[in-house]
Amino acid sequence: MIPSDPKKVTAICFANIDVPKMHTLEMARQQGAYQFLPTVLNTFSSEHIVSEMKISGLRGRGGAGFPTGLKWSFVPKNTGKPTYLLCNADEGEPGTFKDRDLMRFDPHLLIEGMIMAGFALGVKDAYIYIRGEFIHEAKRLNDAISEAYAANLLGDNILGSSYSMHLTVHRGAGAYICGEETALIESLEGRPGRPRFKPPFPAVEGFFRCPTVVNNVETLATVPAILEHGGEWHKAIGTPNNAGMKIFSVSGNVKKAGNYEVPLGTTMRSLIEDYAGGLQNGSVPKVIIPGGSSTPWLLAEHYDVPLTYDDLASAGSMLGSGAVIIIDETADLIALTRRLAHFYAHESCGQCTPCREGTGWLERILTRIESGQGKQEDIRTLEDAAKHMAGRTICALADGAAAPILSLLEHFPELVEQAIAEKTS
Amino acid sequence: MTTLFINEEEVTVAAGTSILEACRQSNVDVPYFCYHPELSVAANCRMCLVNVEGWPKPPASCCTPVSEGMKVSTESEALVKDREMAMEYLLIHHPLDCPVCDQGGECKLQDYAMEHGSGKGRYLEEKRIIKDKQLGPFVTTSMTRCIHCTRCVRFADEIAGTGDMGVLNRGDHMEISSVVDECLSSELSGNLPDICPVGALLDGPSHDVSRPWEMTRHQSTCTQCPQGCDISIESRGQDVMRIQPIEGSPEPWLCDRGRFVYDAFRNESRLLKPISKQEKVSWNDAINDSIALLKDKRIGIICSPDWSVEGLSAIRLLRDTAFKNAPVAFDLHRRDKRSFAFEEGFSQTTQQIEDADQVVILGSDLRQRLPLVMQRIRKRVLADKPVVRIGSMRYRTNSELQKDMLIRPRDWVSVIASAIEQVMALGKQAAGMQAWLDATQDRHEAGKVLADALLAETCSLLVGEEIRCHNDAAALIHGLDLLMRGCGHAEANNDGRNLIPEGMNAQALTALFAKDRMSVSDIFEDANQGKLDAILLIGSDPIGDGLFPVQAREALKKVALIQIGAIQGEISDQASVLLPASAYSEVEGTFINMEGRVRTAHHPLEVLGDQRPLWKIMMRLLQALGQDIPAVSLEELRIHMHRFIPELTKVDDKQQDAIFLSSARNRKSILPTQITLRTLDVVSRYSMYREGMWARSSELLRGAGERQKLADVIMHPDTLAAQAGSIATLDTDHGQYQFKIDVRDDISPGVLFISKRGIAGDISNVVSVDINGGSA
Ligand SMILES: Cc1cc2nc3c(=O)[nH]c(=O)nc-3n(C[C@H](O)[C@H](O)[C@H](O)COP(=O)(O)O)c2cc1C
Ligand code: SF4
Ligand code: SF4
Ligand code: SF4
Ligand code: FES
Repeated sequence: MIPSDPKKVTAICFANIDVPKMHTLEMARQQGAYQFLPTVLNTFSSEHIVSEMKISGLRGRGGAGFPTGLKWSFVPKNTGKPTYLLCNADEGEPGTFKDRDLMRFDPHLLIEGMIMAGFALGVKDAYIYIRGEFIHEAKRLNDAISEAYAANLLGDNILGSSYSMHLTVHRGAGAYICGEETALIESLEGRPGRPRFKPPFPAVEGFFRCPTVVNNVETLATVPAILEHGGEWHKAIGTPNNAGMKIFSVSGNVKKAGNYEVPLGTTMRSLIEDYAGGLQNGSVPKVIIPGGSSTPWLLAEHYDVPLTYDDLASAGSMLGSGAVIIIDETADLIALTRRLAHFYAHESCGQCTPCREGTGWLERILTRIESGQGKQEDIRTLEDAAKHMAGRTICALADGAAAPILSLLEHFPELVEQAIAEKTS
Repeated sequence: MTTLFINEEEVTVAAGTSILEACRQSNVDVPYFCYHPELSVAANCRMCLVNVEGWPKPPASCCTPVSEGMKVSTESEALVKDREMAMEYLLIHHPLDCPVCDQGGECKLQDYAMEHGSGKGRYLEEKRIIKDKQLGPFVTTSMTRCIHCTRCVRFADEIAGTGDMGVLNRGDHMEISSVVDECLSSELSGNLPDICPVGALLDGPSHDVSRPWEMTRHQSTCTQCPQGCDISIESRGQDVMRIQPIEGSPEPWLCDRGRFVYDAFRNESRLLKPISKQEKVSWNDAINDSIALLKDKRIGIICSPDWSVEGLSAIRLLRDTAFKNAPVAFDLHRRDKRSFAFEEGFSQTTQQIEDADQVVILGSDLRQRLPLVMQRIRKRVLADKPVVRIGSMRYRTNSELQKDMLIRPRDWVSVIASAIEQVMALGKQAAGMQAWLDATQDRHEAGKVLADALLAETCSLLVGEEIRCHNDAAALIHGLDLLMRGCGHAEANNDGRNLIPEGMNAQALTALFAKDRMSVSDIFEDANQGKLDAILLIGSDPIGDGLFPVQAREALKKVALIQIGAIQGEISDQASVLLPASAYSEVEGTFINMEGRVRTAHHPLEVLGDQRPLWKIMMRLLQALGQDIPAVSLEELRIHMHRFIPELTKVDDKQQDAIFLSSARNRKSILPTQITLRTLDVVSRYSMYREGMWARSSELLRGAGERQKLADVIMHPDTLAAQAGSIATLDTDHGQYQFKIDVRDDISPGVLFISKRGIAGDISNVVSVDINGGSA
C-alpha cells in the first residue's frame, strides 16, 4: 500500500516489486491492485482524469519528459476515428532496464494503468509494444492479461461498467529505433520501423492515422496511484516541475548495479552512495552518463546534481530514461565511445542522410583511431560529422549518436589526441 | 491563408503549406533532393534545411508547415555549413562517376556539389558498393549512385500503384530494391529515371550514348493517344535520343507508349521517298501518278485523326476544292456514323475529373487507353473518392474501384434503360426519356450502379470504346445524354459528358468534317459496290489496325489506293502510290487533345528524307489537279483553319492552355433498335504497346508489349463451360474460324474477348459469334 501522505512515499511503481508472486492476479489483488478501478470507471469523468494528470505534474518516463496530462489533452475528440493507446515497452536505450522489472514482477500495475488511461482517452483497443528480446516478460504479460480477461478486468464491460477495452501484446523484432514512438507505430502497423516526421503528432494522427497516445511503461504504471491519491498528492512528491518518483537503472562502475526508485530531486551522489552501494573505485566518477547512452556526459563536478529534468538540463545533459551509467578511471573512453558509435550505426533506420551516412562514418573513424591509425584531421571531422547530424533529422536517434562523441571531444580532447599520436604503424 | 516572411519578404500562402512550397511559390531557391511536388513528403534527404527565427535547430522545410508571422531565412552562415555537411554525408559513398554517368549535366547531386559542397571529401574509409537491379526494359540502374531519397519507391507506390519497389536493410546498408527482378510492370515506368535525382535509375534505351548538353530539344506534341502530352524530343545530330516531359505541362508524367515510340521516328518503316508501283520515284512522277488515279474520279478519304489541325484543314481544302462530295472517315473503330448526342471529346479537364464527386467509367480499358487519365483516377481513389465502372472486362487498373460490374455489349441498352427508369422514379426528367424507355424491353442490374452514381452533385461520365464502337452507339449515347441531362450533369458549367475519342483532334475533326463523316467500313463498302474509283488514305493503316481489315482487303481488290503517310503500315504493299509526309515530330502545328485543349508544336525535328508537311502535299495535289492553291504558307493556311474553327484564332503561346474546343452536341432523338445476335458478344482490346503504326514499328514498345500480353482469345469459365487450352470453332457471318481459348473470370460471361486485335484479323468486325460444337 502506498501511503496517502506524500512525504511518506518511498516507492510508487516499485511499491510491490519485491512481493513474491506479485505477477499473479491473486497476489496483486491482495496488495490492492484493481481496488480503486471501479471508482474510476463508475464515477470519474474523462475530463476529471486528464485534469488530475495535469495537476500531478507527471512527465513522461520514456525519455523526452513530456507532461503526460498535457499529451492526453491533445487528443482530439469526436473525430469519428478510434483513439489508440500504445504502451512503449521497447526499452532499448542502452543502460535502461526498469520497464523490464516492472513487467516481469508487477504486470498488473501496468495493466491497471492502461485500463485507466484507456478509459480517460476513450480507447477501445490498446497495445503493449514490447522489446523482442523480452521473451519471458512478454509471456508474463500475456499470462497476466489472460487472468485479467478471465476476471473481467479487460474485455467488454469491464467490471460491469459501460467501458470496454481490449489489450494486446505485440513483440518487436529487436530494433532500437522501434522505441521511438512513430517508428513504433509504423512497426505496429506492420511496416518497417522508420520514424515519421512531425507534425502531425501521434496524438492527432498516429496508429493507422488515428489519434494515438504513446506512453512509456513507467508512465502508465504511475497512473493508478495518481488517480487514487489525487494529482496534488503526486505533485507534492519530488520538486516543483519535476514531480514524483523515478526509477533509475544504475550500471557501470558501482558496487550494486540495479533499479532504484527515488524521489525526483535526490542527488546523483545520494543515488550512487545510498542506493547503488557506492563507487567501485575512487571517490568521484570520471564520467556520468545520466539518462541513457544517448544523453551527453557529465563529469565529477556534477556528482551532486539533483536528479530532476530541469537540473540535468542545466548541467548540459538530460534525465532521459533514467539510466545512470557510472564510468571511472578504469574505462577506456575511446573504446567505449567507439562501441556506442557502433550501436547507433547499427540501429540507425537509414532514412535521414546525416544519420545514415554519419553514424557509419563516425564509427569507422573511431575504429581507425582506436586501432592506432588516427590522423590529426580526424578530430575536426568527428566534430563536424557529429554536430551536423544532431537536431537535423527526423528523429532524435541522430542526437543520441552524436552525444557521446561530442562529449568525448569536448571533455577529453587530450585522450583523442594521445590516441592519434600513439600510432601503431 | 498564412502570412510569413521569407528572407524578410512578406509572402502569403495557403494555410498548411510547407515552408519549402512557400519558398518555391515565391521563387526562393532552397536545395532539395527527396521532395517532389507529385509525391508524398518523405523528409529524408535533409538538404532543405532553413532557419526559423526563435527555433533552436534548422527544420527541414519540406515537412514543416508555415505558421502566421513565421520568419524564415534560407541563407545564413550556419546553413552554408549545414548544406556543405549534407553534401559531404551524401558523397562519402558516392562513386566518382560523373564523367561516365548519363545524369551528368542534369544531376541534382552534381549541381549541388558545385553549389553547396566544400569541394573536398574527408572520407578515408571503405566505400559502399551496391549491386544493380533489373527493373524492366526501360530502366537501367547503377545503384551505387543511389542517395536513398526514396522518390522511386514513392513513385511505385503512389503513382504507378504497382508498389514493386522498396527499401531493404537499415543504416548505411539501406538499399533500394525491387520486389521481384524484372517486375516493373507499369505503363509509366519511363518516368522513374526522370524522378531519380541522380544517376541511379537511368533511361534504358538512351543509356551510355550521349550527354545531356549534346542534345537539341524539339518541343512537340505526342499524338500517340488523345491525351496529347507536351514532349521534348531530344536529338543529337540526326539521331533521336529520347523523349522527355516538359515541366509545367498539364500532366506531370509521360506514358511509356509516348516516350519510347521514338525509335520508329528513324527506322526503316518510315516512308521517306515517294513510291509508285513499288519503285522509288521523284516527287513529280509520284504526283503525276497520283493525279492519274484521282483526277475526275470518285474518291473516298480515310485519314488519321493525328495530323496537326493545319494538316487536317488542308485535307478539308483539298476536298472542298477538288472532291466536293467525297465521303470522309477518320476513326478505324467507329461503326455508327450517325452523329452522337455528345460527340467525341471531353467536356471536362482531367483536373475536373479528378475533383468530381463521382466518376463512372463505361466500357473502357482506361489504363491502356488514357494512362494519364487513369493516373487522375488513381489519385481520386487514393483520396477516397468513388469511381465505378461497367464494362465487359475488369480491365486491370492500379486502383480499387468502388463498384465494377461486368456486362455484355448487348446489355448496354438494358443497363441504360434501367438507369433511366430509376432516375425517373426519383423525379429526374429529360424530354425524350419515356420514348427511349418505350423502345426497350429488358433491364439490367448494373443500371443501378449507373443511376446511383448520377445522383452525385457532380459526376464525370467517361464513355469508352465499347459504346463508341457499338453498332447502335448513337442510340446508347442518346440514352446516356438523357440521363446526364435529367440528372443535371449537362449544364454549361457542370457538363460531365466525356466520350473518349479514337485519337487526337476529335473536336477539330467534328468541326471540319461532321456533315460528311462516314464509317470507314462504309467507304470500303462503297468501293466494293463500285461506287468509288479510288481511296485516298492519309495516315492510317486500316489493315493493321481497326475493325475493318476484311472489308479493306476486299475493297482494295477493286479500287486504287493512294497512301500519304509518315510511316508504312500493313496496308502499304497495296498502295499504287505512296507519298511521304512529315511525322508529328517533324512539323510545326496545332493539336487538340481530348479535353479540347490546344497544344502547339514549335520546334520540329530535322527531316531526313524527302517527306513534306501534309499541308504542302495537299496543296501540291491541288495544283496538279489544275486548281488554284488556297495557301502557299503556313500563315495563309492558318487563315483557312481559323475560318473552319474560329476558336483557334485566339491561340497564341501564352494563353493556349486556357483555350478549349468544345465537342459537338446533337439533340435529335435516336432510339435503340433490336439487333439479332449470335450467342456470344465479341469484344477486342486496345493495347498501348501494339496499336497504331508507330507503336507497331517501335521495337522498344514491342518488347514491352510482349511482357504484358494476354492469351489471344479469352472467355469466362461459365461461358459454355469453356476450358483453358481448348480449341474453339467460331461461326461468324463470314465463315468459320478456330482459336485456342484461355479462361479468366475477370471477363463477362457471354463474351468472347479478343486480347490482341491483330490476331483477331478477320473476325475484328464481328460483333457476335456462335461456338460450333461446344467449347471443349
Ligand atoms: C531513438 C529513440 C528510442 C526510444 N526508445 C524508447 C524506448 O525504448 N522506450 C520508451 O518508452 N521511449 C523511447 N523513446 C521515446 C519515445 O519516442 C516517446 O517519447 C515515449 O515513448 C513517450 O512516452 P512517455 O511520454 O510516457 O515518456 C525513444 C526515442 C528515441 C528517439
Ligand atoms: S535520425 Fe536516424 S534513426 Fe531517426 S529517422 Fe533519421 S535515419 Fe532514422
Ligand atoms: S534510386 Fe534514385 S530515386 Fe530511388 S532512392 Fe535512389 S536516388 Fe532516390
Ligand atoms: S499519355 Fe498519350 S499523349 Fe501522353 S505520352 Fe502517352 S501516348 Fe503520348
Ligand atoms: S527535401 Fe526536405 S528533407 Fe529532402
